Parts: sequence; C-alpha cells; structure tokens
Amino acid sequence: MKTFYKFATSALITCILAAGALAQTPLTTLSNLTEGEGTITGTGSVWNGYSELVLIPGASLLGVKSATTSFYIGFTGGTTADIGNMVLYKTARSGNTILSVSKVKFGGVSNPSINLASTAVCPVQPVSVANPCIIRLDPVKPALSTLNDYYLVLFFTNDGNNSHVNAAGPSTLQGALSGWYIQGDETRIKAKGTLPGGNNDQPPYFLLYVTNQ
Amino acid sequence: MKTFHKFATLTLMIIAVSAYGFSQKAPAKTTPLNLVRGIVGPVGSNTSWSGYSALSQISGGGVIPIASSSTVFYLGFTAGATADINNLVLYTTARRGLTITAVTPVKLGGVSNPSINLASTAVCPVQPLSVNNPCIVRLDPVTLSLSALNDYYLVVYFTANDPNNSAIGATQPSFGQSSLNGWFINGDESRLTAGQSIPSGNNGAPPDFLMYVMNQ
Repeated sequence: MKTFYKFATSALITCILAAGALAQTPLTTLSNLTEGEGTITGTGSVWNGYSELVLIPGASLLGVKSATTSFYIGFTGGTTADIGNMVLYKTARSGNTILSVSKVKFGGVSNPSINLASTAVCPVQPVSVANPCIIRLDPVKPALSTLNDYYLVLFFTNDGNNSHVNAAGPSTLQGALSGWYIQGDETRIKAKGTLPGGNNDQPPYFLLYVTNQ
Repeated sequence: MKTFHKFATLTLMIIAVSAYGFSQKAPAKTTPLNLVRGIVGPVGSNTSWSGYSALSQISGGGVIPIASSSTVFYLGFTAGATADINNLVLYTTARRGLTITAVTPVKLGGVSNPSINLASTAVCPVQPLSVNNPCIVRLDPVTLSLSALNDYYLVVYFTANDPNNSAIGATQPSFGQSSLNGWFINGDESRLTAGQSIPSGNNGAPPDFLMYVMNQ
C-alpha cells in the first residue's frame, strides 16, 4: 500500500508539471480573415458628412479560426478624424436586408475623435501616402461567418476637421473588399432595414485589412 | 508523510475522474468554410434556361488550403417556381487542361435529375425569389477533396422544352472578384466521358447559378 501511495504521489507531481507545461500555449498568430488591400493611393479626401460602406463578403473568408474580428482603417492626411458612428451590418450572402447591427468601437466608443497628429496614434509623422497611419479598431465579437455578408460603415461628422481628412485608399490591388460612399449618415439603419445601394465593386477608401486580432 | 501520500492519492483520483468527465464532450461542430472564393456582392438575373447547360469552372489555382474530404456546391436562383434539372456532373481535368480525366455524379436529394421546388419556403425560405433575395440551394456533398493540381467543371443541364425552366432565373454575379467563372451552351453538355474535351466558350466571366464551393 505504501508503494502505491508513493506511486500516486509521483503521478500527481507529474500531472501538475505536465499541466503547467501545456498551459504555456503559443501566442495567436496575426492572420488575415479575408484578402485585404494592396498598394494605396491616398486620393480620397474631404469626408465631412459622408459615410463609407465596405462589403466584407462571407464567400471570401479564408477559413482562419477566430473568435474576434479586427478592422484596420488607414489615413494619409489630416490632424483629427471625427467619426460620428461606426457599425457592422450583417446580411444574408448577396442579400440586401440587414439581419443585425453591431457597434464598432475605437477606444471603447463608437464615435471617436482620432488624433492623427499624435505619435501615440500615428507613430510616423506627418501622415502621408508614404507614411499612412493605420488604426486598429477595437476587436468585434463574434467571428465572421462564411454564411453571411458584412458591411462596415463609418460616418464622418460634418465638421472642419473631416474636410482635411485623407483616406488611405482606394487601392490599385483590391483584394476581397469593395466599398462606396454616400453623403449622409448611413450608420443608423436598424435590423430588417435595407442596405443602401451604390456598391459597384470599387476598392474601399478607409478599410484596409480584416484580421483575427 | 503517510498523510501526505494519502492526500496525494486522493487528489490524483479526483484529477483522473475530472479529466475523464471533461473528455466526454460532444464532437465539435464543423464550421462551414469556403474551399474557393465564391460569388461576392449583389447579383443580377439571367433567365430562361430550358435546354441549356450551365458550365462553371472551379480552378485548382483558386483552392483555399482547407482539409476537407467532401465538397459542397451551392446554386443560386433569382426567379421561377420549379427548376427541372436533367443532369448534374462534375468533370475533373488537369490544371489548365481540357481533357476530362474523371466524371463524378452530383446530386440533390440523392438524385442527379432533381426538380427543385423554388416556390416552397422549405427550399427557399425568403419568398418571392429576387436579385435581392436569391434562393441558395445546397447540393448533396460530393465525396471529393478538391486538389490544387486539378481543375473542375460543374455542369448543370436543364431539361429542354420545359416551361418551368423557361421561367427560372440564375444568379448572375455583378462583381468579378470570385475564383469561379463559367459559361452556358444550348444543349446537354453533362454526358461527356473521360477522354473527351471540355466544351469551349469559357471567357472568364462569372458563372451563372454556381455561387459557393464549401466544405459542407
């Protein structure tokens, strides 16, 4: 019996050590959830009072497992971007009826003012086409599904700051994303509402990448 | 020391029982994944398919490296009440080759010549069908793992002289970003055999009907 107890003690210590080792899982790798934008042009300027809408098609998702989705938007000019609201609409694939609306945030709010002149936000100053400032919005849950399409919509407040904001895009290498812009706030549509028309398969201006983190 | 050994034994038994319990989880649900980039964006409509074959190329060069032992094709309809399909097949060729190396039957509901009741909400939940609410029909899974070293051609032949098929509409992609492309031919192109050639006419346009190729 004594031998059995000794064996059990030894097995327990082995278990504890093994559990400790297995707990040291590797860090998650940054992975694209869909093909992002290539070369940027930085030709999209003056955004006060405009909404940009970008389609992220479920049919283009690459099969990376992820519990969250991160959107990266790019700027090539301006000192402050005043975003009035940010949302993510979900539709059926190739459908135009909104099934659900999720808030998208930066720094915990859906209406951030982004200080593009700050090196804490945009490390390389001044922001330009050669040195675009790429901002990662707060991760969104849940993960994107191949069975749906998604539309990221950014509305820029109608103010003087946004009249000096330059977008990173459009890109000459489109990737899987496509977008369009509309004068007015298109971020307040509710579920069962209809998505605004106008998408003619052009590369987006602000949204550059969609990744797992 | 004896007490310590007893405590250790008890703890070990608790861990062993717990580990067994946690291991009795239900099998993880497989996530639906794209095997190639499918149709994106809004769709238009291409109507009147009686007697036509819709051919779609799934190129090995566009295959996303996802391990899957089966392949599932999804067809999109924008109009019609019943689609009478006479035959469904999948041709395999070498990459960029036109000689058919294998022919695989494709089925819906266990048959290669299904009549699809597009007016039924069990088949097409959102009625009526339209370009804004296309009905996406999932064919039976084909036991085939797409290889990057081959090209594949899905052929759907619609019964000729059939008023039902005159009224059906295919999804016609507006955007050209997909890995898929296709064309159509008047006549039955679904009865070709290994060694014969894929019919000509593919000019890289997006396909009618075929919207997605997935693992489930």
